[in-house]
Amino acid sequence: MTDYDVIVIGAGNAGLTSAAYLTQKGVKVLVLERHNVPGGSATSFCRGRFEFEVSLHQICGIGTEKAPGPLRNLFERIGVLDKLEFLEMNDLYNFLYLPEKRSITLPPDIGEIAALLQGLFPKEKEAIKAYLELVTKVAYGVISVQYLQDPDASKDKYPEYFKYALKNTQEVLDRFFKDPILKSVLGAYWGYLGVPPDRLGFSDLALMFRAYCDFKPQHFKGGSQALSNAIADAILENGGSIRYNCGAEKIIMKNGAVQGVMTQTGDEITSRFVISNSSKISTYYELMDPEDVPEPIKAELRQTTVAMSSFVLYLGFNAEPRDVGFIESTNFMVGSIDNEMAYKRMKALDINENDFAAISCYDLIDPQFSPPATCQAMALALKYADPWLKVPPAQYADTKYQCAESFLNVLDNFFPNIRNHIEEIEIATPLTFMRYLGTPGGTFYGFDNFIKDSEMFLPNDSKVPGLYNAGCWVGMPGYQPTLESGVRTAKSIVKELNA
Amino acid sequence: MKQELLEQFEGYDEIRREIEISRKFGDDFSLEKGQVAEYVNRLHPSLINLRVGKIIEETASTKTLRLMAVNGYLPPFQAGQYISLSVEVDMVRTGRAYSISSSPSQTGYYDITVRRVDNGRVSNFLLDKVKVGDFLQSSGPQGTFHYHPILHQKEIVCLAGGSGITPFMSMIREITDRGLPRTVHLFYGSRTLDDMIFHQELSQLSEQFSSINYIPVIEGPDCEYKGKTGYITAEVIQETLGSLAGKSFFICGPQAMYKFCLPELDKLGINRRKIKQEMFGPPINIWEYQGWPSEIKAEDRFTVRVNGSKSFETNAGEPLLAALEDNGLVVPSLCRSGECSQCRIKLVAGRVFQPEGTPVRKSDRKYGYIHSCVSYPLDNLEILL
Ligand SMILES: Cc1cc2nc3c(=O)[nH]c(=O)nc-3n(C[C@H](O)[C@H](O)[C@H](O)COP(=O)(O)OP(=O)(O)OC[C@H]3O[C@@H](n4cnc5c(N)ncnc54)[C@H](O)[C@@H]3O)c2cc1C
Ligand SMILES: Cc1cc2nc3c(=O)[nH]c(=O)nc-3n(C[C@H](O)[C@H](O)[C@H](O)COP(=O)(O)OP(=O)(O)OC[C@H]3O[C@@H](n4cnc5c(N)ncnc54)[C@H](O)[C@@H]3O)c2cc1C
Ligand code: FES
Repeated sequence: MTDYDVIVIGAGNAGLTSAAYLTQKGVKVLVLERHNVPGGSATSFCRGRFEFEVSLHQICGIGTEKAPGPLRNLFERIGVLDKLEFLEMNDLYNFLYLPEKRSITLPPDIGEIAALLQGLFPKEKEAIKAYLELVTKVAYGVISVQYLQDPDASKDKYPEYFKYALKNTQEVLDRFFKDPILKSVLGAYWGYLGVPPDRLGFSDLALMFRAYCDFKPQHFKGGSQALSNAIADAILENGGSIRYNCGAEKIIMKNGAVQGVMTQTGDEITSRFVISNSSKISTYYELMDPEDVPEPIKAELRQTTVAMSSFVLYLGFNAEPRDVGFIESTNFMVGSIDNEMAYKRMKALDINENDFAAISCYDLIDPQFSPPATCQAMALALKYADPWLKVPPAQYADTKYQCAESFLNVLDNFFPNIRNHIEEIEIATPLTFMRYLGTPGGTFYGFDNFIKDSEMFLPNDSKVPGLYNAGCWVGMPGYQPTLESGVRTAKSIVKELNA
Repeated sequence: MKQELLEQFEGYDEIRREIEISRKFGDDFSLEKGQVAEYVNRLHPSLINLRVGKIIEETASTKTLRLMAVNGYLPPFQAGQYISLSVEVDMVRTGRAYSISSSPSQTGYYDITVRRVDNGRVSNFLLDKVKVGDFLQSSGPQGTFHYHPILHQKEIVCLAGGSGITPFMSMIREITDRGLPRTVHLFYGSRTLDDMIFHQELSQLSEQFSSINYIPVIEGPDCEYKGKTGYITAEVIQETLGSLAGKSFFICGPQAMYKFCLPELDKLGINRRKIKQEMFGPPINIWEYQGWPSEIKAEDRFTVRVNGSKSFETNAGEPLLAALEDNGLVVPSLCRSGECSQCRIKLVAGRVFQPEGTPVRKSDRKYGYIHSCVSYPLDNLEILL
């Protein structure tokens, strides 16, 4: 007899959905979470009269009641659909091009996007049509071949998918378009995948673009913490246990198979299965002894690199969105269409006009997101941790303030009133994310999202009997993929338990 | 994906080559074992082992404990931040917050300056029992009561009462140590002159540095005293400062001081949202708070059942966190003022009183999570730790 059937390490999106799914099936589950709240990245914190959303700009995959997306079904299956209230957004994103102070807002509909862009770039009318058709075909290729595993899949059945999936996004955009701004508008979702278009697989961008159009970008009433709390609640209702403030210190192994987990306080808890929602690096190199790490995993880990983190400003304003200058909820600020420059800026400490940055104002999605007559926004610039690791601790606070100042200078370009209305501000650096998520490089994206490290080439197989991984380190980053990753992992365990 | 499918992709061979190369030259993450914790601990250790290096008598009721790190390393802090000391008094493990009164430029130690509270469990322990050489444990530096260059003007007005002087002492010491381009007007209210902590040092700094303007305000001075008397009123502030434009306000002191001083600042037209207010621990006499149900008396007894097993009895007037600690159940805590959410627990059944405005996340409220340091039982309770 073991203490639990399954121990889940980490209550991030993937850890939570895996536990909820398993407890629904009557499996005895314990979740260990180092932090005192569930959610990992999917959380919030309070400052003054604001509750700041930590991570979620947009979630994909929920769809509408009439045209449900995969997440709506997933929420139903794990028993949280009734606990959640979805907020649909009117726009895909607002593209702000700094050098020309130009703004293009894409609607979340592929036909409307075509019409809008064809009007703005009449010379490329045909190319726009052809490109959007390609996006659709490649996206459906990914779904049919990778996800639904069409047994008849072949190059002949899905020609566009097999031709373009592994190409980098920039190459595809270059092939179709001349106008650099048009390319930049259509490639802007690269920010959600963390590597610039010349390094990003086209299948990833195509899938994301098409899926956001089909299922509409959404948010939650109460923010992402409402999601995490709902799933945690479902786990408890189903008889599962969650221990907060309780990190896993070690995965206990015997004869090459999982035996349980030792907590940071030295408690040994037994189980035949462990799901790790912790980083893949820490799962193998912190929680396991070197001799237990399988050689193929060592090779896999060597091929990967840790993804970026971010520099983030959480801003609470004593004014309505329009008084601060917000018209759209999701804004991408693009300073440079040069990929090399964008990549270089991700490795710099400060923020300037050439950074890729996003700013979301949630009160435009839900007027009650913040208290009356206020609003909040999250401004994010993609940044690797490296330069932050070199900042001497004594200079950390000052460096943080200087970088925040540099970011505000960039924001001033589009929101000239922004400084006048700040009531609360919290600054998060890659080190902040490292502290709260415990991830190498403070990343919340897992490994760099290069084609070679995608699930196509690195299937999620722990190579250790009883050990399962779930989350952004073993698949795509982001809400939808990690929520789904947890359920997929749970299903494999159910299969194993029933075998 | 099956190999034969993979091979059908255009560009497949190139990616295979890339994989081979990166496997050969990639980083070996196993060499980075422990690094994340190391980076995090340089800034935010969850626990610091401290040794008392020196004890300084400040006033009849106040001492400064000079705390050194056992491992020789103290993380940096921002002047105004606090540490939460974890102590065992009379077999009960508990914690209390103390602002660091030394300057952040002094990296060899943290000073905390503790004032006696009548019947206070931890303050009396620290003042009467702790000796040089004793070991203590604390959290890393915490809190947002510090100067923020984006939110605050370079000229700040500080209102202090009693032991509330400690964060300001750290700020002033930093400004003078480092020659920071900031100006401080410090109003320090006290019942008597003898009771004032750091009076000597503040008077001296004020004389020496034009950037430090120290205004002691004594409630009941003897006739010789020439400074400001009474309370820190709107008039006193106005008289001293003249124009209030371009200044940021900070306040730290006992609960009664906020009740008195905030309306005074209102009179001056200072926007309350722009006043940085430090916390002061759990509310005193909670049963006098607005919203407290009149039928419940502070000494009413209720049963608390924990994790479906152990249960104990406690008073309505006692914060749940303290009651849990008294019964040997340790819930991690930091501010003990309702602000930081560290002591978050789930209320499964029963009712508690949590003062209005306690910053509990919206969805935490929905699912019954409470900040136990400022939650008071109004009923028999069932909770989940
Ligand atoms: C600022 C920001 C903005 C973002 N914006 C978006 C967006 O708009 N849309 C989108 O889809 N995605 C977005 N993301 C990404 C998304 O939030 C993440 O990819 C996703 O939440 C990752 O989930 P996860 O389950 O993989 O892991 P995590 O959220 O990292 O959770 C892992 C959990 O495991 C715990 N843990 C780790 N090790 C241990 C251990 N040893 N013992 C116990 N517990 C442990 C951690 O404390 C954590 O709670 C954003 C992220 C951030 C930070
Ligand atoms: C962020 C923060 C920073 C702080 N910094 C300092 C500091 O630098 N120096 C310092 O001396 N204290 C400081 N405090 C207060 C300190 O944490 C303790 O509350 C104080 O030492 C009393 O604890 P105790 O265990 O002695 O009293 P308890 O046993 O907790 O309380 C006994 C009784 O005294 C009342 N009481 C508690 N605290 C006070 C108080 N401060 N004034 C009047 N009555 C009180 C209680 O309601 C109770 O009735 C700080 C508090 C916070 C939240
Ligand atoms: S300890 Fe900070 S909210 Fe209770």
